[in-house]
Amino acid sequence: MTAIVFEGEPITLDEGETVLDGLLRLGHSIPHGCRSGVCQSCLLSATEIDKVANAQTGLSEAQKQLNFFLGCQCLPTEAMTVARVDADVSRIKATVMEKTQLNDQVWRLRLTADLDYRPGQYVTLWRDENLARSYSLASTHEQPWLEFHIRHYPEGEFSSWLVESLSKDDTLELNGPLGQFFYTAQSEDPMLMIAMGTGLAPIWGIVNEALMKQHRGPIEVVVGAKQAKDFYYREELGALQAQFDNLQVHWLSLDSDSPETANLYDYCQSNFSQLSDHKVYLCGGTSFVKKLRRYAFMAGASMRDIYADTFIAFGGEPG
Amino acid sequence: MSIYEKIGGEAAVDAAVDIFYRKVLADDRINEFFDTVDMESQHTKQKAFLTMAFGGPNSYTGKDMREAHKNMKLTEDHFNAVAENLVATLQDLNVGQEEIDAIIAVCLTVKDDVLNV
Ligand SMILES: Cc1cc2nc3c(=O)[nH]c(=O)nc-3n(C[C@H](O)[C@H](O)[C@H](O)COP(=O)(O)OP(=O)(O)OC[C@H]3O[C@@H](n4cnc5c(N)ncnc54)[C@H](O)[C@@H]3O)c2cc1C
Ligand code: FES
Repeated sequence: MTAIVFEGEPITLDEGETVLDGLLRLGHSIPHGCRSGVCQSCLLSATEIDKVANAQTGLSEAQKQLNFFLGCQCLPTEAMTVARVDADVSRIKATVMEKTQLNDQVWRLRLTADLDYRPGQYVTLWRDENLARSYSLASTHEQPWLEFHIRHYPEGEFSSWLVESLSKDDTLELNGPLGQFFYTAQSEDPMLMIAMGTGLAPIWGIVNEALMKQHRGPIEVVVGAKQAKDFYYREELGALQAQFDNLQVHWLSLDSDSPETANLYDYCQSNFSQLSDHKVYLCGGTSFVKKLRRYAFMAGASMRDIYADTFIAFGGEPG
Repeated sequence: MSIYEKIGGEAAVDAAVDIFYRKVLADDRINEFFDTVDMESQHTKQKAFLTMAFGGPNSYTGKDMREAHKNMKLTEDHFNAVAENLVATLQDLNVGQEEIDAIIAVCLTVKDDVLNV
């Protein structure tokens, strides 16, 4: 048990309880999302910096200097003083420029905001003080908007709000950019990029940046989906492929007529069995990324060269 | 000069860790212990282990070793399998027999802690 002080009020945390969980248990309204250290919606600040250093992974230098930390990652072992963070400091405003349905499930959202980012990174979007979700950046710097590809889950709180209520010119808040999922390859490096569903969002951004930066090595993009009708951006990727000789796109769906393209994992194992010297980018759900990371590593990619973004489910794991 | 310096310091560890981790993941005798969701953190642990085995700067104590392997019910066979994979890794990297022996000797010093006996 550890005693902390939150905005003047003494609070006792249970054994193994994070600062976030303790505050929520006692009825404080504290913004939060993933509870996994990913979305940074649970930012708090501490008076004593050294006591929260291990709850600062992924924060910017400026945020660290302000003694910010992630409430969901902080298990204090000694007394400390904690406060909320002013949203004006940690978030920026964005305006909806366009919202377009791309297929049955996927919506494209374009926002205008003053954000310095790398294509493929993600931001956390806020519906209101109580609901935040992370989404990957599919746009590149040439585009004067931030682009997102968002899958609609009928039961999903954020994505349903986006589909049903959000309209052009509305404003919302975001924080970020976050993560290390972006183009870092040398021009000649072979790249293998594997996306499941809207995992294509950051990969679309990274492919475009790589080509714009005149990447010369081969780029293989593998896009997976349950059904072929869940694919989107086929024309756009087709047009890029026609324009750049070093880009090859592979579309794999479970309902495919050809056994060859029905199983993404087998397909990759037989077509890309030698990955030493490759830069590998993986994006999709938890089990997808786990399986593909293992495959890429066993196929010879160095752990250092495997970049992965996992779309962990915020509202608890599905199923 | 320590073995760590002799075989090339941190660069040698970096070269060894991918090879070593790939070998243990492919080894059915022990891969269940290494095949976790968080491959990256598992990889980091293997790097720390190799740094220790190579006699490099590390902060492992016998107590940490004991704590980290508690409740895993590891046997002598598991320990030997890891050691075999380590030897094979070093051979892949053309490390001399003398250095390999010295590295295995370091591993043997933590054996009781790893097996929690
Ligand atoms: C770093 C990061 C980047 C992300 N980028 C994107 C992106 O670019 N595009 C995108 O569409 N999503 C992305 N996500 C996922 C996104 O943050 C939300 O988790 C997702 O949109 C669901 O939010 P929701 O509020 O609609 O559903 P919630 O209210 O959180 O969930 C409600 C229910 O929806 C279902 N559900 C939610 N997520 C999943 C899932 N992954 N698989 C199966 N069922 C699910 C479950 O039944 C769940 O119980 C990203 C996540 C992370 C962590
Ligand atoms: S980072 Fe703490 S809730 Fe997401």
